[in-house]
Amino acid sequence: MARVLILGAGIAGHTAALHAKRLLGKKNEIIVVAPNSNYNWIPSNIWVGVGKMYKEQVIFPLAPIYKRKKIEFHQGLAKSIYPEGDSKTASPFVEIAYTDPNRSNEFARIKYDYLVNATGPKLNFAATQGLGPEGHTVSVCTAGHAVEAAASLKDAISLMKLGKNQTLAIGVGHGTCTCEGAAFEYTFNVDHELRMAGVRDMADLVYITNEYELGDFGVGGMVFTQRGFQTTSKLWTESLFRERGVRAILGAHVEKVETGKIFYEQVDGNKNVLEFDFAMLLPPFRGVDLAAFNKSGEDISSQIFAPSGFMKVDADYSGKPYEDWKAEDWPSTYRNPTYPNMFAVGIAFAPPHQISKPRKSPNGTVIAPSPPRTGMPSGIMGKLSILTIADLINKGSDAKAHSASMAKMGAACVASSGSGLTKGSAAAMTMFPIVPDFQKYPNTGRSLKDTYGEIGLSGHWIKLLLHYLFIYKAKARPGWAFIPE
Amino acid sequence: MENPQDAIAHAPLPTAKTLRFRRNIPVQIWRFVAINIKMLNMIRKGHNQK
Repeated sequence: MARVLILGAGIAGHTAALHAKRLLGKKNEIIVVAPNSNYNWIPSNIWVGVGKMYKEQVIFPLAPIYKRKKIEFHQGLAKSIYPEGDSKTASPFVEIAYTDPNRSNEFARIKYDYLVNATGPKLNFAATQGLGPEGHTVSVCTAGHAVEAAASLKDAISLMKLGKNQTLAIGVGHGTCTCEGAAFEYTFNVDHELRMAGVRDMADLVYITNEYELGDFGVGGMVFTQRGFQTTSKLWTESLFRERGVRAILGAHVEKVETGKIFYEQVDGNKNVLEFDFAMLLPPFRGVDLAAFNKSGEDISSQIFAPSGFMKVDADYSGKPYEDWKAEDWPSTYRNPTYPNMFAVGIAFAPPHQISKPRKSPNGTVIAPSPPRTGMPSGIMGKLSILTIADLINKGSDAKAHSASMAKMGAACVASSGSGLTKGSAAAMTMFPIVPDFQKYPNTGRSLKDTYGEIGLSGHWIKLLLHYLFIYKAKARPGWAFIPE
Repeated sequence: MENPQDAIAHAPLPTAKTLRFRRNIPVQIWRFVAINIKMLNMIRKGHNQK
């Protein structure tokens, strides 16, 4: 009997847990450690953030699901990994601190044979002074944050109804942020809500981003074929900005935020101030605070984790120059090279480099969108890690690892630009592969046949369908395993 | 670095017909089906790596 320990219960971790139980559960132990008591379908936080959904519609308690599926659940925070055990314990284990209010101040050591690190990101608001709900901006990264954002937006709309013009700044709060797509979604959902409230003419809506061009989305932009022409996501996105009357500030690193003021530097080295009344800025991500120790108790964190705090896997971390980057640099099995019984999936794995071209201002400030690896890729990686573990357990240690490289994987992204069954809209995009492969697709890095974008009401329906479908799946209702990641 | 406001001002503006199509229910039902098929293809490729 083997013990499979999964750290995290987001899209990657929860998907891994359910598949582990399905594939291995009868004879093996499946254990999940996650700091939150609830699952959060994060893509729909955008709608909570504009008051179109209640928090309760995007979260549900994990404990009853795990109880029903006979998965052992510990509500706690993983603090350190001992992949060789220690002087007293031969088996590898993870030390956790309980966040369960009924077990506060308790700690535990949980042994494992296979570890899946799906801890997601640490929301690094501290990287930018004054950023975040404890500073001067709101966020939609968690359901709780989104509720605060909706309340703040409602206040701004009330002021506009009283005749007071408002500047609404939406975007990312650091030069190395990821998730520009979420900021884009929130921008256009806010635009939609302002129009519905009849106050759009009272608002100056400004999108502030670290992207060098609109439509970059942290993946270096895309090229689509539309009506017999190749067009770029840049032009496509600029068209939407023109249609909706949204201003853009590009290539920006937010240095600090004060009450009503965003201080930022751009790629050209210029430093400016954007005054605002409402600001939703996403934070940069880093790995969670997790340390690793060897058998003799020496700290081996730098061997296991990249400087960003994310776990090293089977990627090329040699730090090659941008011109030498290749699709093969990206990991395919997500196994840690030092301890191959450890996997890191979803946001928790360390990407070998950015996908968008990284840039530096003349002052040396790095302005480089980090690669997105949320949603669909996270789910696929979570499942893949369990398929490999299942083969290792059932077929032996020589079993070939399953592969899910982001350089061979497509992604579907539906970016909401307004909700409503008849008045909503969304930008539906597909790209293949996520990481461009210029060896295989010399012109654009991606398959023109499979890279596609379209704006319309149907996109909103798809996003709504995905909301209900993936919450159904996450609740492990009958037939959940037939719903793909 | 180009001024994004200039680029936005010169981007193609959808015509009234295009905007109507984006909300036309029969057209959008068809697009819903078509986009879902494209997405299912993406999923199939992502799940079947050699």
